[in-house]
Amino acid sequence: MHKVWAVVRREFVERVRTRWFWVSAILGPVLFAGIIVFQIVQSMGGAVRNVAVVDSTTDKLGPQVVDALDASGSFRATLAPAGPGVIDSLSNLVESKQLNGFLIITDDLVQTGRAEYQASNLGMQTIESLQRTLGKLVVKARLEQRGVNPGVVDWAQIRIALDQKKISHGKAVSDSATQSFFMAYFMAILLFMAILLYGVNVMSSVLEEKTTRIIEVLVSSIRPFQLMLGKILGAGSVSFFQFVIWGVSARVLLSLRGPIARALGADPASVQTMVLPHIPAATLAVFIAFFLGGFLLYSAMFAAVGAMSSNEQEARQAQQPVTYLLMVSYLSILGLTNDPSSTFARTLSLVPFTTPIATPVRWTAGSMPTWELVLSLVILAIGIVAVTWIAARIYRVGILMTGKRPTMKELVRWVRTA
Amino acid sequence: MPEPVVVDRVTKRFSGHTAVDGLSLTVPSGLIYGLLGPNGAGKTTTLRMIMDIYEPDGGSIRLFDQVGGGRIHSARIGYLPEERGLYPRMRVLDVLVFLAEAKGVSRRAARVKALEWLERLGLADWRLRKVSDLSKGMQQKVQFISTVLHDPDLVILDEPFSGLDPVNSQVLRDTVVDYRRRGKTVLFSTHIMEHAEKLCDRLCIIARGKKLIDGTLAEVKHTHGGKHVIVAFDGSQGNARQIFADRQLVAKLQDFGQQAELELAPGADAQAILKALVNSGARLARFELASPSLHKIFVDLVGPEAATAAASGAGGANGGANA
Repeated sequence: MHKVWAVVRREFVERVRTRWFWVSAILGPVLFAGIIVFQIVQSMGGAVRNVAVVDSTTDKLGPQVVDALDASGSFRATLAPAGPGVIDSLSNLVESKQLNGFLIITDDLVQTGRAEYQASNLGMQTIESLQRTLGKLVVKARLEQRGVNPGVVDWAQIRIALDQKKISHGKAVSDSATQSFFMAYFMAILLFMAILLYGVNVMSSVLEEKTTRIIEVLVSSIRPFQLMLGKILGAGSVSFFQFVIWGVSARVLLSLRGPIARALGADPASVQTMVLPHIPAATLAVFIAFFLGGFLLYSAMFAAVGAMSSNEQEARQAQQPVTYLLMVSYLSILGLTNDPSSTFARTLSLVPFTTPIATPVRWTAGSMPTWELVLSLVILAIGIVAVTWIAARIYRVGILMTGKRPTMKELVRWVRTA
Repeated sequence: MPEPVVVDRVTKRFSGHTAVDGLSLTVPSGLIYGLLGPNGAGKTTTLRMIMDIYEPDGGSIRLFDQVGGGRIHSARIGYLPEERGLYPRMRVLDVLVFLAEAKGVSRRAARVKALEWLERLGLADWRLRKVSDLSKGMQQKVQFISTVLHDPDLVILDEPFSGLDPVNSQVLRDTVVDYRRRGKTVLFSTHIMEHAEKLCDRLCIIARGKKLIDGTLAEVKHTHGGKHVIVAFDGSQGNARQIFADRQLVAKLQDFGQQAELELAPGADAQAILKALVNSGARLARFELASPSLHKIFVDLVGPEAATAAASGAGGANGGANA
């Protein structure tokens, strides 16, 4: 056990000492900070905009539009009577940032639903808000043209508030669909990346010992299985450490949102309303369990690939089948998140090679019965034992081999006779 | 003290060819034991089986009177493989500590010993540098330290002198001799007979996976020696050529002009040759009953082709191809 521990520590220390570990450790929080800043800037984009309304309608719709825009809370509108040169002077005001933009309405607005908006910045939120406000007015005006009582029109226009709740394990939980979708998607990508990156780390570490021939000294004092186990656990703890760094820094950055917003000149209060992805403890546990399981499964395969190759180039080729297995889950993430209870999704979560990604996605994205979760875990565990058993045999023979890469037939022989 | 190494009728086959064939040898405690043979004879395979790197297909290995290979005794054995290597990106001190830990030495003890050895071999200032920053000679020293750091009772060296610069060769020779003086056991393989002749107390010559002879250096020389005569002339050679050509007396002749090395024919008496030479009027500077060099015995045993291959270091049938 002492020897395995020595291998684990070496893997861990040597990896953590590399530049790449710290680059990606820092890149994570930087990316996260970027997302926060982006959100703050976006919320600033939703702040009140100064717009002018150029009215050349015969019905004098302008004042109504101004009132409606003011009432929406997103705009401070002023009326600009149409006339020669007015567009140019308004353009100058936009240029000098005294005005965000101006809206030109003509009789077309009510007749065909057309209007024009010119601005220095065409934000999605602004446009949607303009469309919504104008839309209401136009509907009202058109109904009045047909003799409908304006009071009735006002009464008829109500806004639908859709209360979104997710049914999760028999209980309705307040949650938005997009949020759980993104969370599942994000988790799947994270799992895929982590398993691939750190699995490949195991492979190159095995290969290094083989190409430097240090393996001979190691095998004379450590059993090959212990060595493989130590490597996998070492690389696994490095990736876990990486996640912890990311998690802690994300947590810290989140708690610093207020100060960040203030520094950017935004209203700190507006930041507090930002929806936080809430990760329930159960989801976190599922995520960790399947990450560890998936990592064990795939890194054992990567270790075998490293052992059967004698240089980087060979290893790149030999790893392809393993990477493809992982790609299957990656490519089906969208399908999984869209319909987490389809037969396709169920099947993927019951196959050892795809369950590490499929099951957490299904769990996060939608309902998944507990018994199915347990079944997936059991299947994954059986898969790990079987794959490790085979991989260890390939590893044992492979690490001492030099020369050409073994054929499939030879591999089978290694597994049988090792 | 029980024998550190007992190899009993061990066989190892690699896809179709037999690398080691029913080989038995016993390495007594406190000696320097040489495993000699041409390239491809099965030396490395034998040592690898002793070190638990390969499992024998037949026969058994006992180390320190316990069945099994070197892994369980890794803390008592220092092994220097033929193909050397270290982690190029690791720091020198870390490599040494890790390799010692892998053998079961505690981390703290390994650190102390590693620093001691680095100091002794003049590498103390390099302890925090990466292995790849070191020159080849320095890397050889580090590798050597990793073999003996844990003060093993048994040191197994596979072709230890190959690729060593003269300075490191000397360090290695001194350490090997020092080990024997301290009652430890050294088992090493080589195809260079000069090394073996200078260092070995006992030796075993193998070829094609089989043992040809073993015993102490004196025994081996006695078995194959005593039939060699070196003759050097001082002026007149009389009719020496005629006498040497007599197959009743001389089986083999190596003629160097002023000197000749004879191998006596079975049953022939060296004194008869001396008498015949003197009677023929030859003036002799030297007439010596010599024991043959180990190289000569080696060539006689394994055959000239194999020996030539061994001496020139060519061949390389061993190693990866049959692994």
